[in-house]
Amino acid sequence: MADKASDLVQGTLDMLILKTLALEPMHGYGVAFRIEQISGGVFRVNPGSLFVACQRLQRAGLIRSGWNATENNRRAKYYTLTRQGRRKLSGETREWERQVAAIARILEAS
Amino acid sequence: MSWLRIIASGVRARFQNRREERQLEEELRGFLELAAEEKIRQGMSRREAVRAVRLERGSLQATKEVVRDSGWESVLATGCEDLRFGLRRLRRSPGFTAVVVLTLALGVGANTAIFSLMNALMLRTLPVRAPEKLVELLHRYPGEPAFNGFSWDAYQIMRHQNHVLSDLIVDSPESFVVRGQSLEPQTILGGYLSGTFFETLGLRPAIGRLPGREGDDLGHPSAIAVVSWSYWKREFSLDPAILGKQIIVNDAPVTIIGVAEQGFEGLNEEMSQDLWLPLSMAPVIRHSALGWGSLGLVGRLKPGVSIGQARAELAVLFQSAVRAPGAGPFIRETKFEMEPAGSGLSTPFRQKLRTPVFVLMAIVSLVLLIACANLAGLLLARGASRHQEMAVRTCLGAGRGRLMRQVLTESLLLSLLGSWVGVFLAYFGGRGLLGMIASGQDMVSVPVQVDVLTRPDLHVLLFTGALALVTALFFGAVPALSLSSLPASALQPVARIGEPRSRRLFSRGLIVAQVAMSVVLLSQAALLVSHVLRLRRLNLGFRPDHLWLVTLDPARSSYDDRQWSHLMEELLAQCEALPGVRSATLSGMTPMSGAGAGSFAVVRGHPENHRQVSINYVAPNYFATYGTRLLAGRDFSWSDQPGSPVAIINQAMVRDFFGGSSPLGSYVTLDHVTLRGSETPSYEIVGVVGDAKYNDLRQASPPTIYLDAFAEGSVMSQLTLRTAIDPEAVASAVREKVASVLKTVPIVRVRTMTDQIDGSIVPERLTATLSTWFAALGALLAAVGLYGLLVFTVSRRTNEIGVRMALGASRGDVLRMVLAEALSMVGAGLVIGAPLALWAKQLAARLIPDLTANAVWVFLGTGMILTIALVAAYLPARRASRVDPMVSLRYE
Repeated sequence: MADKASDLVQGTLDMLILKTLALEPMHGYGVAFRIEQISGGVFRVNPGSLFVACQRLQRAGLIRSGWNATENNRRAKYYTLTRQGRRKLSGETREWERQVAAIARILEAS
Repeated sequence: MSWLRIIASGVRARFQNRREERQLEEELRGFLELAAEEKIRQGMSRREAVRAVRLERGSLQATKEVVRDSGWESVLATGCEDLRFGLRRLRRSPGFTAVVVLTLALGVGANTAIFSLMNALMLRTLPVRAPEKLVELLHRYPGEPAFNGFSWDAYQIMRHQNHVLSDLIVDSPESFVVRGQSLEPQTILGGYLSGTFFETLGLRPAIGRLPGREGDDLGHPSAIAVVSWSYWKREFSLDPAILGKQIIVNDAPVTIIGVAEQGFEGLNEEMSQDLWLPLSMAPVIRHSALGWGSLGLVGRLKPGVSIGQARAELAVLFQSAVRAPGAGPFIRETKFEMEPAGSGLSTPFRQKLRTPVFVLMAIVSLVLLIACANLAGLLLARGASRHQEMAVRTCLGAGRGRLMRQVLTESLLLSLLGSWVGVFLAYFGGRGLLGMIASGQDMVSVPVQVDVLTRPDLHVLLFTGALALVTALFFGAVPALSLSSLPASALQPVARIGEPRSRRLFSRGLIVAQVAMSVVLLSQAALLVSHVLRLRRLNLGFRPDHLWLVTLDPARSSYDDRQWSHLMEELLAQCEALPGVRSATLSGMTPMSGAGAGSFAVVRGHPENHRQVSINYVAPNYFATYGTRLLAGRDFSWSDQPGSPVAIINQAMVRDFFGGSSPLGSYVTLDHVTLRGSETPSYEIVGVVGDAKYNDLRQASPPTIYLDAFAEGSVMSQLTLRTAIDPEAVASAVREKVASVLKTVPIVRVRTMTDQIDGSIVPERLTATLSTWFAALGALLAAVGLYGLLVFTVSRRTNEIGVRMALGASRGDVLRMVLAEALSMVGAGLVIGAPLALWAKQLAARLIPDLTANAVWVFLGTGMILTIALVAAYLPARRASRVDPMVSLRYE
């Protein structure tokens, strides 16, 4: 399964992270796990790209972070969506849907 | 707003480095732990799970590196690390560092020095309003430097009838003797200005006021003056009481009414002016009308007018001005020109240095290229010895970009150090350069203040900084890129096979390039040196050795013509009586001094033959003293009477005016000789002398007429002595004689004729001397590069050489093998360099008039580099041939 996982479409990781965090605050592994799980193993999120993206989003003020205890009593850094992040997510989602629809139309046209 | 936050968090991250690091590690560890737990839940053992996670997710350290490096501040952090690391490495190999820094310092220093000269002469703009709109008006007599000297009438015509200039102002530099209460008599450079001068240039007074239009009224001279800020500081210690003070300029009392803006010292940096008078004072102080040659003109273009349009319109006005009565035949033959004046007026000084500066700039850039190629080779060889280090770092997780950045940082560090030293070298080396320039012909009687030419400014520093960057990229890119082909096998203890083929070819290519450029430099240097030697060996028509020249300043001596003649006769007699002096004479000018006079001559009975001749006023015994042969007739004598003027002409003039027939007894009249009233005198030709150079070594001897100075009552200021001993040895005795006979006449300058001739070919000497130094430097660098490469390859091939010798190769075979390798590189360099040198020779011949561009010099350059290269190659070759097969095989 691991070697069949594809890389994310360029630039979509940020959106997926925001989407995942929109449900609830979560730690890094939780985000990766959820993306991999929901995508049915199509996407694989490595810690390298994940934390770089988290750092970037945090600096842009789209997410916040803080240390918290996990379900099995470990300390982990939880990421929370900010109001700005929420706005950004809805905007990006709309844009994404628009583009996907357009691409789909083109592909179906032939 | 968000970029502000990005910067803020970056800065915070930079300072909270350690905490951030710990948190990141904890977060990552947590991630991996959670992933492992997930696997354990799926039934793996803990050991398996940890291993699987590491395989899937990558190592903790590598990930940490990636995350840490993602922020911009990490570039800064790693940059600092690289810098520290680089400094440590440089300290550990001081020899290498010294060689690199010195090489760069020489290359960059040479470029900085020449560039600062170029900057001062051509690029730096004047501290006035909109300097790019200023234009200078010039006219040029065929074959002479362009000259900014117009008449009052021409000024009026061109000022009032043009539609292209918003104003046309006068700036006529002149040296003044200034004295006054608490002021010792002192010669300073100043000038006459028209009324709108300061207004047009947008300059304000530091204190007081500046002269206005009333100063242009020639009928009512206004006796006022403005001084420069630096003069105010120097002589008056910035005392405001300078306003209203009276000073005596030459003989005229004037009142100081203001001080000009700080930083403005005239329109020529190297001749800074200290005192300005209104134009109406010029006729008063000069005791002559404002005729042709007396007014320097500078215009300001109207908005939207190009210099081409302005030139076209003013050329037409100039034509109408020269057709007006009062303009001499010389002026009618000049052509109007216009040049941008934003970086200063184009004095003959600047015009003469223009070509040399361009030639030198080309030469020093070649030197820098050689230095770069040399260092690239050096760093490449050094890089090879670092492969293990780099391989280890790659295995530890360093990315290729990261390694390249580190290597480039080291190069940059080296080049900054080198450039820093280079700036110092340029500054001190520049002084020598200036000394040579300053020994040239004077332009005005105040020497050119050349030291401003190397004053460092922002332009020069930017240039050097850019140079340092470009150099670092050039020679640093090579070893950096060589990392990208780093094979995984580099970790093996000793790379037995040696370097990859591509890199070997590249190192050799660098040597070939250096040899080729050295050939160009050496042949250029040989060409330029031969040019100077040829100029020095030229037949001058007189004997330049053992001549002592003394320039007197009789202008304010208060002797009348009659007294002057008597005193001079006495002085000459006393000088000739001095021990060591063979003969003494006087003249109006001395050859190659930079001054001269000319006129149009007509032989009585042939009015159609109206030609230009050069004039010199000489005393009896002039030709004997100078060693110019008297071919026919007689010399002037003390008994020649003013009533019946006589003249002696040279062969060139005989050829031009008389063809083959004898000129003796003919009469010649000269235009423009108005010393004795308005009537044009007729001169009887009483002698013919051999041709002698007049004012320019490079030009053929012009037709020249010599007039009897004493009979003309002309003021002659040049005393020449022919000595039997070293001319300097009679200097003090002559000085005493002059002081005792001519009590009120100061000596302006003394020098030997040889020095005066050298002074007249400063541009040639400058290029020849400097190009020789730089060529030697280039060749040395190339030789060192070749030597280094051979030492390196020989040490790499010790093993192979040992095997060859064990198999029966003789020492001679090995020696030949290494030499052949060297020769193949040098040969390739010569094949490339020789055509380049030939092409450069053509280029030089086009830039420098009457350069005897002989291909011999290219061969000479080729021979020189070949010899140098063979010497450089012989040492490593000999070392290779001394390899002991037993030792080298055990070396493994």
